[in-house]
Order: sequence, then C-alpha cells, then structure tokens
Amino acid sequence: MLAACDSSPDEAVFPSRAIEIVSWATPGGPSDLLARALAEAAPDHFDGRRVSVMTRQGGAGAAGMQYLRSRAGDPHVLGVFTASGTVNMATGRIPFGPGDFTPILRIQVDPFLVAVREDSPFQTLEDLFEAARTRPGEVSMSGFGAASAHFLGFQRLRASAGEPDIRWIAYEGSGDAVVAALGGHTDAVHTNYNIVREHLRAGTMRVLAVALPLTALGDTPVYQDEGYDLAPVHWRGVVGPPGLAPEARADLRERLLATIRTAGFQEYMARAAMEYAVMDDSDAFGAWIAEEVETSRALLGRLGLLVNE
Amino acid sequence: MTGFAEGLATALQPANLAALLGGSVLGVFAGAVPGLSSTVGLALVLPLTFALEPTPALLMMISIYMAAEYGGSITAIAIGVPGSSPALATTFDGYAMTRRGEAGRAFGISLFASMSGGILGALLLVVALGPLSRAAIAFGPPEYFGLGVFGLAIVANLVGKDPLKGILSALIGLVAFLVGLDVLTGAPRLTLGSTALMDGLGLVPMLIGFFAIAEALDAVAGRRSRVETTTGMRAALPRFGELFRLWRPILRGSAIGGVIGAIPGAGATIASIVAWNEERRVSRNPERFGTGEPAGIAAPEAANNACVGAAMIPLLALGIPGSASAAVLLGGLTVQGVAPGPLLMTEQASLVYALYAGFIVAVVFMMAVGRLGIPLWVRVVSLRPEILMPLVVGVSLIGAFVLRGNLADAWFALFFGLVGFLMLRRGYPLAPAVLGLILGPMVETNYRRALALSSGSHTVFLESPIALVLLLLAVASFAAPALRSRLRLGRGGA
Repeated sequence: MLAACDSSPDEAVFPSRAIEIVSWATPGGPSDLLARALAEAAPDHFDGRRVSVMTRQGGAGAAGMQYLRSRAGDPHVLGVFTASGTVNMATGRIPFGPGDFTPILRIQVDPFLVAVREDSPFQTLEDLFEAARTRPGEVSMSGFGAASAHFLGFQRLRASAGEPDIRWIAYEGSGDAVVAALGGHTDAVHTNYNIVREHLRAGTMRVLAVALPLTALGDTPVYQDEGYDLAPVHWRGVVGPPGLAPEARADLRERLLATIRTAGFQEYMARAAMEYAVMDDSDAFGAWIAEEVETSRALLGRLGLLVNE
Repeated sequence: MTGFAEGLATALQPANLAALLGGSVLGVFAGAVPGLSSTVGLALVLPLTFALEPTPALLMMISIYMAAEYGGSITAIAIGVPGSSPALATTFDGYAMTRRGEAGRAFGISLFASMSGGILGALLLVVALGPLSRAAIAFGPPEYFGLGVFGLAIVANLVGKDPLKGILSALIGLVAFLVGLDVLTGAPRLTLGSTALMDGLGLVPMLIGFFAIAEALDAVAGRRSRVETTTGMRAALPRFGELFRLWRPILRGSAIGGVIGAIPGAGATIASIVAWNEERRVSRNPERFGTGEPAGIAAPEAANNACVGAAMIPLLALGIPGSASAAVLLGGLTVQGVAPGPLLMTEQASLVYALYAGFIVAVVFMMAVGRLGIPLWVRVVSLRPEILMPLVVGVSLIGAFVLRGNLADAWFALFFGLVGFLMLRRGYPLAPAVLGLILGPMVETNYRRALALSSGSHTVFLESPIALVLLLLAVASFAAPALRSRLRLGRGGA
C-alpha cells in the first residue's frame, strides 16, 4: 500500500523506490538492531534509495512473514530471518515454511553458551551434567523461551551428553534468564555472548563452555573440546519475498554483501558483540534453513512439543 | 560531587540540551496519545539516535521516557483514557476531578507530582544503584508471585458497589491474559488456531477498547454525558500551598515507584496502581478515592515517574532491561557502543554522570512542556463530546496499530470496546479486568516457575520472607475493604 505511493514509472530498474526491511522482532533486541544497522548502512549500495525498517510484530513473527509473503516477487522488501523463525516453523505454530521466502544470505552466527554465577560449584560443563546425573531434576537451567531456538540449542547439547535430567526454566527474555542465574534462582543460564559480556568482564559470571570459539572469549572451552560433538548457534540473515527472479536475488546478494562490509556496519557488529559468519551462497543458505527446520522438527517431535500433529 | 558537576556541564551543552528538549516534547506527545507509550516513542527515535553521539542519544532517550510517563496522565485526566498504561490509576481520581470541572487543578497536581517523582527516582538511582540492583536480582519466582498476588488483591478496592461484579471483571482480565503462547511450554492457549492470537490480546488494545471505545459507545447510547461540565471548565492551576501539602502522597508514591520500578519486569503500571491503593489505605477518608481526591492523582503520578530512574538501576548496574522501554534504550546504547553492566560506572563514569544530570534537566523540560501545555489540554477537555470522542477513538485505533504495526491489534481494541461497553451497561467496573490482564501472567508464570524449581513444594512461598510478607499484605489488603464495607463502600475506580 505504501509502496504504491512512491513507486516510480520505471519498474524495470532496481531499485525503483524505497527499500523496506520488515522486522518482526522485539524493538531494541538483537534481530531488530540488525535490521536497523542494515537500513543505516544500505542506502549507499542501493543507489541512494531510502531504506527503512518496517515493524510488523505479532503471531510469533507470522504478521511480518505474512507481509513479506504478500509481496511476492518484489525485491524492494526484505526481512531479517533468524533461527527463531525456523523453530517457529518447525513447531507448527506458524503456517509458514522455508518455501515461503527467497533466501539471500546469512550474516552472523551467535553461538550459544552455558554460563554460571562466579561462585558456582561448577567449573566445567561436565560438572554440571554430572550433578544432574547424581541429583536428577534438581539442576536448573534458565533461558529464553519455551520450544525456542535457545531451548532447542540446549536440548541438542543435553542429548549429546546422554540426556542428563536438567530442568529448563523458560524466561520472557534472555536478560531475565541471566538475572535468574545471577540471583542464584537457577544453577546456570543458556544464552549468547553479548547478553553476558559485561558480567564476564566484571567477573560476576563465568562461561563453562561455548558452542563455537569466539575471539572475545579467548581459550574458553568449546563444546567440541569437551566431548560434545555439536555447535548449536543462533543465527541471523536476510531473506526476500517468495518468487524473486534469480537475477534479482543475485543483485540483492551483491548489494547486501557490500552493505555488510561498510565501516558503519562493521562497527555495529563489533559493538553488538557479533561475529561475521557470512554464508553468501543463497542456495546453501536456503538449504541451511531447510535443514534447521528439519532438525528442530525431529527434536521437538522427540520431546513431544509439536503443535499440529 | 565533581563528577556530577561535570555531568551537569555536559548535559547543558547546546547539543545535549536540544536532545533533552526534543525528547521531552516527543515524550509528552507519545505518552498522551492512547496506544503510543514511552516504549513506542523510544522505538520511533531509535533510528534517529544512530546519527547522534552517545551522550545526546542517551539523553534524548531518557527525556522521552521521563516525559512519556507524565504525558500518559494528560489523556487520563482530560478524557479518562490512560494515554499509556502507567496512567491507569490516574484516571480514577484525575478524571473524576475533571468531571467536577477542575481539570486545571488535576493537571497541575499531576505535573507537580510527576516532576517530584521524576527527581526522587533519579536521586534514588544516584544513591542506591548498588544496593537496589542487588535487591533486584534477589527477586526470584516466589517473590514475583507474591508481588503479583499483592497487586491482584487491590481488586478488592476497585470493585465498586458490587464486589461480585468486580471479581467477575477481574476474571475476565485473567481469561484474556491466558490467550496466547504459554511462556513456560510454548504451547498455544485459547488461540482458536489463529496466529493473530498467538501473542495474546495485549494490554494496549484492552486499554483503548475499555477506556476510549467502550466509553464512547456508552456516551452514544445516551446513558450519560462524559464530562458533565464542558462549559465553565476551570483552567485554574492549584496553588503552591496545595501542591506542597501533597508531600506525603508524593513521597510514598515515589518510594513505591522507586522500589517496584527497580525490579525487572514489574514496572510503572503496577507501581502506580499500588501507590494509589496505598494512599487510599492510609487515608483517613478512603471513600473519597475515586471521586477526585488530590492524593489519588499525586501518588500514582509520582510513582510512575519515579519508575523511570529506578528502571535505570538494573539496566546500568546489570545490563538488564527492567521494562519494555528500558529494552529499547539498551538497544540504543548497544548501537552507540555503550555496554551497561557492572563496569559501566568505572569505565564510563562521565557518561553516567551526564545521565544523572540529564535526568534532572529532563524533568525541568518535562515541567516546562507540561506547564505550557495545560491551557491546551483544558481546551481539549472543553470540546463537545460528540466531536471529542470520535477523535479519541480514531487516534486510539491508529495508536493500537502503530504499536506493533499489526492490524489485529485494532480489531482486538474494537473487541474489547464491545466487551467493555456491555460491562459498563451492566454495571461492571473495568479496572479490575485490566489489573487481571497485567498481573495474571506475573502470578501464573512465577507460580509455575517457583514450583518447577522447588520440585513441586509449595513451601517455597513461605520460606522467602519477601514473598511471605507480600502474601500476608495481600490477604490484609483483600480483607480490609470487606470489613470496612459493613460501614460503607468506597467508590471503585472505573
């Protein structure tokens, strides 16, 4: 509707009008910030067109995805897509699948980690799991959401440790989950680096292990070194509406690659404590999304958490 | 103190002053428009702050936050529609005072109380950052449960003439909160298979539906005219003597706002309702509450502005946003490369001092913008209802949409408008339902979380001293009006 107001007569040239980035995430949260950082850095690489973030919240992302889908074939509308989107698809909560978008590129991965308060008796991930084996159900782990990407990341880790009985205590936000561990209400928190960064620097919390090596975390043990052969991550990328022509998709990919290489965007990445993990082969990114949905669905099915089955 | 002086000098630099002033104007507007709130105001300027230096960006955001908490009271007092949810309690006595023809007095009290609360909240932030942040993390599931039950017990004071109707109204709110994804399991509840219902019905659509649409329908249905004295509305401001005599409710309200505001997730809406209720409890004339009692305006308005400074406590000391608005603020800080947390005070002391000083300047600007605006608000009140109400409904529906960019919210607001209209016609008070919707999630989620952590043992609620005290207060608060009602029943809020 809005686009009709400022569309130019020459539709053949891209971009022929302003670009919209649909954000269905919490305002100020990591995905919303990524959308805004893209919007800030993009105009130079979109022929000076205005790039704005359009908020479409609701229905666990369904409202935003619906909007994106309704603009089939239009390269002027983009969306920030994340691991949470694949999990919501996998649960059956939202009536969308990977086929409802055109994957363009993945920008960042945000590895999960397990952190404890500085005075915790646990020194390693194995300590935590061992405690859960000897005292089943008494060890608790706080984290963002139920049947969420964070929850599934932890369930994958737990499965590879032989399913020790650890109680997942879901919180409304990652910050709340960190407070629960800081206050000693839960034994540990499963979250991402940027959420606990300041507490690590201040020494009020410790990381037991992280899914992937992070420069900022130095020699903190990685899951793989500890004997857990997996690397569950949160990730974020950009998708377009369904039915984008291959040339349009390649064009968007090039422009977005240039955007994320700008100094301004790099500064955002550093400040938000994010690391680049660019997957610029759009087909590979699409396959990754589809695989994430399948892995999540299998795990949710095993845990009895599928909605419409 | 040199740190603070330098902070003040920073806050008074032209660019920073401009940011503070711009934020105040925007904040009053965002607060006053139903549907918009401090959170929406902050989200709207978030892209704008990208272009600013960290200090002006931060100052602009806190002045929006501060001014929006005051702005909410303008619509609450003028037309009985809370401009944002923390102004809910202000409708009880503020709008009643307007209906008596004393809008100017109500606006004056609200502004003075907001200013005082804002300053006291900022002082609390300065002097009690460490201790209160430690208290905030001590608040676990049993304590949140206690606070939620304590808040719900306030329903007993909002029920109006018929306690049964008040309780049924609260139950309507509790059922409404159940709609959506279960926080602890992620399973949809009462969503009827609709994705639109997955994130719940929402507080903003309920406030707009109940207080703007339902009241407008009620007026159209000819039951009563909303403002009885549209002509001869007195713009006269309260005298300073009257304002200063309100120091007790302002102090109590600020203290309540300061403590509840520092607890992540509790927030200004709960703080202001608790403040109103406490004021009523300690008053020698509790029956006057809800009829335009000055203390009933001063306490909640002091409380919601005190929450702004208090909400900075978990944010600055722990890097944890204590409210939806603080979450947007944290996003803005992140982009600026400012990472709040235990080290902020040592590493970025000058920014923190500028923030402290900025709070004071923000309050001064809020006061100025608010004072200049009062004649305008009074003129709005004097509009004929048949002109004013369609305008209010229209603006509110747009506000409901803007919040999340979701048309479903406007439909929810219309739905609540219809429900509210039916409730009003049958003499059900509306405020208990709002309280149910706000506190239901806190009570339910933390009850289950506490039991999950205690392996199902209910004694956790008694082992925590804070939870125990809150639960006992809840019982006392619930029982007191029932006992008093033998003598006479105070008027409810809605």
